Formats: sequence, C-alpha cells, structure tokens
Amino acid sequence: MALVDSTQQLLQAAMRGSWQRETALTNNIANADTPGYEPQEVNFESALQSAVASGEPESVSQAQFQTVTEPIEAGPNGTAVSIDQESAKLAENGLDYQALTQVLGARDDILRSAMGAAA
Amino acid sequence: MGLFDAIGIAGTGLTAERMRMDVTAENLANADTTKAANGQPYQRQEVELAQMGASDFGGALSSAIQQGRGAPPGGVEVTGIVSDSTPDQQVYDPGNPEADAQGYVKMPNISTVTEMTDLISESQSYQSDVTAMQTAKSMFTSTLGLLK
Repeated sequence: MALVDSTQQLLQAAMRGSWQRETALTNNIANADTPGYEPQEVNFESALQSAVASGEPESVSQAQFQTVTEPIEAGPNGTAVSIDQESAKLAENGLDYQALTQVLGARDDILRSAMGAAA
Repeated sequence: MGLFDAIGIAGTGLTAERMRMDVTAENLANADTTKAANGQPYQRQEVELAQMGASDFGGALSSAIQQGRGAPPGGVEVTGIVSDSTPDQQVYDPGNPEADAQGYVKMPNISTVTEMTDLISESQSYQSDVTAMQTAKSMFTSTLGLLK
C-alpha cells in the first residue's frame, strides 16, 4: 500500500469540493438581495462518485468540480436565494469539511504511530 | 480558487448590506424633510446591487475565464444609489409654512414601516454574511489543525 493511497486522494478531493461549495454558498448569501441572481451549487459528490467508478486513481485526484447555477423561480423580492436554505447548507457543508479533516488527521496519526514503532 | 475567496465574498456582502443600512437610515432621517438640496421634498433613495464581475464586459470575461478553472465569480457590489420615483405624499396641513394655496404640503415618498422592515431584512442579511464568514474561518482553522 502506497503512503498516499486512494482513500487519502479521495479525502483530499472531497475537501477541495467542499471548499468550492463553501465559496459558492457564501456567494449566494452575499447576493441574497441581488435582483436576478441565480443561486450556485457545487455537486462534487456525484463528480467524485463517477471518478471513483472509473477506477483510475488520477481521475479522483485530478477531478474538477463545476459550479452550476440553479434555475429557481425568483421570489417576491426579485431574488431566487432562500437565505435560510443557504444557511442550512452552509452549516452542513462546514460540518462535512470538519469531518473530512478529522478523518484525514486520524489517518495521519495512524501513519505516525506506525513510523514511531519502526524507529 | 483561493482559500480566502469565501471570506472575501462574505466581506463584499457585509459592505453591501452596510451601505443598504446607511441608505435606509438616511431615508428614515429624512422622512419629514420637505426641502432637499433641490428645494423639492426629499426623495427616497434605494441601493442597486449586482453580482460582482457580471456587470461589464471585462468582468464577464474574467469570470468566464475563472469559471473555466472551476472557480465561481465572487461577491456582490453596489452599482448605484437611485431615487425612488414614487410620487410625493400630499398631506393636508394648512398651518404648515410649506403648505400650498389649498393647504396641502408635499411630503417625501417615504413610509416609515417600509424602511423599518427593510432595516430588519438588511440586518438579517448582514448576520448571514457574518455566519458565512465564520464558517469559512472555522473550516480554514480545521485545515490548519492538520499540521499539528
């Protein structure tokens, strides 16, 4: 097993995707009162799933995620952004990201203890 | 896509909401001003918002290039402060020195209730921007935690 295995690459790619979603959601909240603004979303999970399904390690580590606009009907105030939905997504994404970093940290600790035992 | 993009974007949101609050405060302060700079009753001011990087050709081009790299254009900007063209209110107050021959006074086109509800929505949007900024900050902190 290589030091940087496929799980590690997957975790790193997911962190990238989660950060890109964070940027998109922040943009939605900043534009919550901009008339005609269409909310953005980054569906990095499905992109990662197909990258994993392809079976090539490079397709996971080099996966690019698209920031897409969601065509939603504008509300009475002229914007399509629902600030409570965006806030909920933002909180969820933040927790997802922290979970990812904690798993990454735990794997790091395992490697460290393995290296310490060998010395 | 930089790590601090999200914080910068939330920052543009804070600036825009602050500007809206300033303008709403100006409207409230001038709710009874019958003589503005042009001698006419004060006219309600409104802030125009636009998605940053989407308004002009250069911005559209750079955001298109950024989008090719997977990064979204970021933020919101105030493109202008415009006057609300709603007609002035006519108030019957014959004792007022500004009253015309029929006893009517032209008052600004401002409804205090509208301004107050605007103020609530603006402060809530501001709060949401702060929350977004805090989330980005805690995400960044947890990444730094990996280096320990």
